[in-house]
Amino acid sequence: MAPIRPRSPLRALAAVAALGALALTAGCAAGPTRDTAAPIVWAIAGTNLESGHMDPHRSQLDSSSYVARLALDSLVFLDEDGELQPWLATDWAVEDGGTRVTFQLREDVTFHDGTPFNAEAVRANFEHITAESTESAQAVNMLGGELYLGTEVTGEFSVAVSFSQPFVPFINNASTAFLGMYSPKTLAENADRLRVGGPGVTVGSGPYVMTDLVAQGQITYERNADYAWAPGGVPLPEAPAPGLELRFVPESSVRVQAVNSGEVDLATGFDPADVAQLDPALEITAVDSPGIPYSLFANTRDGAFAEVEVRRAFREALDIDAAVQATSFGELDRAWAALSPTTPSGYDPELEGSWPQDQDAARARLDAAGWSETAPDGIRVKDGERLSLTWLSWTPGSEEQTSMAALFTESLAEVGIELTHEVVEPAVYNERYPAGDFTLTDWSFAAVDADALRAHLHSAGFQNASQVNDPELDALLERAAAVSDRTERGELYREVLRWNDEQVAIIPVSLPAMIGARSPELRGVATDVYGWPTFAGATFAPAE
Amino acid sequence: MTPPRRARRATDRTASLLRLFRLLAARVLGALFVVWAAVTAAFWAVAAVPGDPVEVMLGPLAGVSAAGKDRLRSELGLDRPLLERYGDTLASLARGDLGESYQLRQPVAEALGGAFPPTARLAVLALGIALALVLIGALLGRGRLGAGLVGTAEVLAVVLPSFWVGFLLITVFSFWLGWFPATGSRTAASQILPAVTLAIPVAGVLGQAVRAELADVAASPFALSAAARGLGPSGLLARHGLRHAAVPASTLIAYVAGGLLGGAILVETVFSRPGLGSLTLTAILNRDMPVILGLVAVSAALFALLGVLADLGVWLADPRTRRAAAPPRPQGQAETGAARA
Repeated sequence: MAPIRPRSPLRALAAVAALGALALTAGCAAGPTRDTAAPIVWAIAGTNLESGHMDPHRSQLDSSSYVARLALDSLVFLDEDGELQPWLATDWAVEDGGTRVTFQLREDVTFHDGTPFNAEAVRANFEHITAESTESAQAVNMLGGELYLGTEVTGEFSVAVSFSQPFVPFINNASTAFLGMYSPKTLAENADRLRVGGPGVTVGSGPYVMTDLVAQGQITYERNADYAWAPGGVPLPEAPAPGLELRFVPESSVRVQAVNSGEVDLATGFDPADVAQLDPALEITAVDSPGIPYSLFANTRDGAFAEVEVRRAFREALDIDAAVQATSFGELDRAWAALSPTTPSGYDPELEGSWPQDQDAARARLDAAGWSETAPDGIRVKDGERLSLTWLSWTPGSEEQTSMAALFTESLAEVGIELTHEVVEPAVYNERYPAGDFTLTDWSFAAVDADALRAHLHSAGFQNASQVNDPELDALLERAAAVSDRTERGELYREVLRWNDEQVAIIPVSLPAMIGARSPELRGVATDVYGWPTFAGATFAPAE
Repeated sequence: MTPPRRARRATDRTASLLRLFRLLAARVLGALFVVWAAVTAAFWAVAAVPGDPVEVMLGPLAGVSAAGKDRLRSELGLDRPLLERYGDTLASLARGDLGESYQLRQPVAEALGGAFPPTARLAVLALGIALALVLIGALLGRGRLGAGLVGTAEVLAVVLPSFWVGFLLITVFSFWLGWFPATGSRTAASQILPAVTLAIPVAGVLGQAVRAELADVAASPFALSAAARGLGPSGLLARHGLRHAAVPASTLIAYVAGGLLGGAILVETVFSRPGLGSLTLTAILNRDMPVILGLVAVSAALFALLGVLADLGVWLADPRTRRAAAPPRPQGQAETGAARA
């Protein structure tokens, strides 16, 4: 049998095919230099947006808000110093002891679909947020929740928002995209499509007009040529970038390489561990988020943590400085209070350094509380019960979180506390969390008002993971939401922070930051008070 | 499926068509069973997994009251008994109604319709690349050294995880060479790397089947007689070898389709592309029962259809099956294909 050997015709065909493939690939290659007439390319993780989270009136996700910000403007603007500036409203006033807020509106604003902006538009938006069918998971509470009475049109360009009790946080909340303004036409015609979003649906008055949306892929915008109402009266560039392409890239290593190679102009949402991989020639920014720092929330109702002494000993046993330093590669600062220093009012610098690690004190405290016997493995026991804690998190976790849990587990074992970190699917988490089937859980909560403490510590708060139920604290939080004087409010929130410091319901760990990297050719990208990028002034300039 | 005992030459054609008709009828009934079984299994599996769709839909840290959540549950029909919901699901499926997504509040048919074209494009491109790779492998894999190298490559192609291959390709072709973009999904160039990633394992499996058949052909007496007629090795490969190899390759179609759809879940995630794969993953994570069932029903029907087409293809391509008592059962049957989805 003669073996079949390759001969010319087919071999040549194979060679041609291979060459063809090469030629095809070369033809597809992108040019190396930045075309300033091309849109800005911005890479974000973007996970979840495709699951019906495109409407900030409905969704509580940060990404829903900063993506919506491209197309939606708000009534007021909070600058980086936490000062209110005009935006779609030229003037505002808090009246009747905080139960009524009035706005004077700009008269020259039109939505992308040509609908004029006016008092009726404001009312339509606030009615949409509070409608049951919107299923709002955050915006409705930023608008006062059950305290919201209604929005009254007092003139073509003036409105009054009323509350049944004073609700001062509203004015800061009005600066966010969660309370952003859609065209009333799209609210009327596309109410059931806003959560999926899309061109002709996500219609606002913002600097970018949505022209294409590929679910799970990318969103394309073109510049709103009529845009002349940038927040805070910021001057707009003469040649703004012609558009913006938002790409969803869930893998942070791919985002790193994409921004390093120039395939994208800007990438955000990095972990501190990614920073070392970023090209130093890029502009790398890390803006501290306001609100509740990354914290451990102690379940004060169930299990061993029902004893405040155990919670105190837990906190004293941890070396938070070392853990934050190690897990964030020195990129993040540790937190001392249950509010970030960048929150517009209420931070208490006096708490800084006030609770250092002290393992001897922790041991003495546990002995005194009756946890004096130990099992053979060194874990403390009381009445036959092991001092064993469960830290519950939802997927996807981060490497940072895993290493932090490992470091904490080690420190706690030294004083005889056992810690188990369980990372479960969100669906499972949501079954165990309401049942109180955890000792600790963790998150950070970006917010532009110290009223976020009410959601976390009030007995009726939506994020009251600590299961706090203290009528005096409830009253204090309610009073703080009703006081319009900034200094007085700050003092009330400092009181709340000191309460937490004593009761150890929230254990602040680190100050989260929005870490981003952008090409030096991309100019005029500002950050709002959340630390999220805004693109009203974005333009391209050649690198120097 | 017994053929007429004494089929005469004149009635051969009729008998053959009759066999085909019976075969198709049996296949259609089988297909309906497959769809029902797949939907039923998926329904009870999702129902058994922990996770309240309303909690998942709202996401972490949602500020919605217990009353608000109850209202949502009753609006979505989640407060009704499971058996009742199962019955309703089957009834609407029978009417061709796939229902409405919990998460997106848009008809499931619309969500599937939007996700189908990108995956179909990717799969067709991947299939083309896989066939080209198989052809190249068949050409290079002759001789002891060539066969060894190609055989190793085929095994590697099957066992290497797609997400690893994807990241490798991104690193080399996007970030070192800059030939293709690693992000974005609107340009033709952005489809190449995902398609290659998807094609590699499929090419590995197909390549093994094709080369095994080629070796049989090369060793058969008619190859010797063709060579004696003066047909060169390339001609032999083109005229006889690949033609013979097409039969086992086409019966693998269900496997290939399963590989392409299953692989799409990984590939679309790695390359962050839209499509059925990422829709499937999102729907499962979100416990979005109507979307999951819609995907299962449609893919089960698709596999069953491919199985029928494969049978038909074999019937047309291989004259022996038309005369034989029963056509050879394809290696990748519709049932197993559906289970794989």
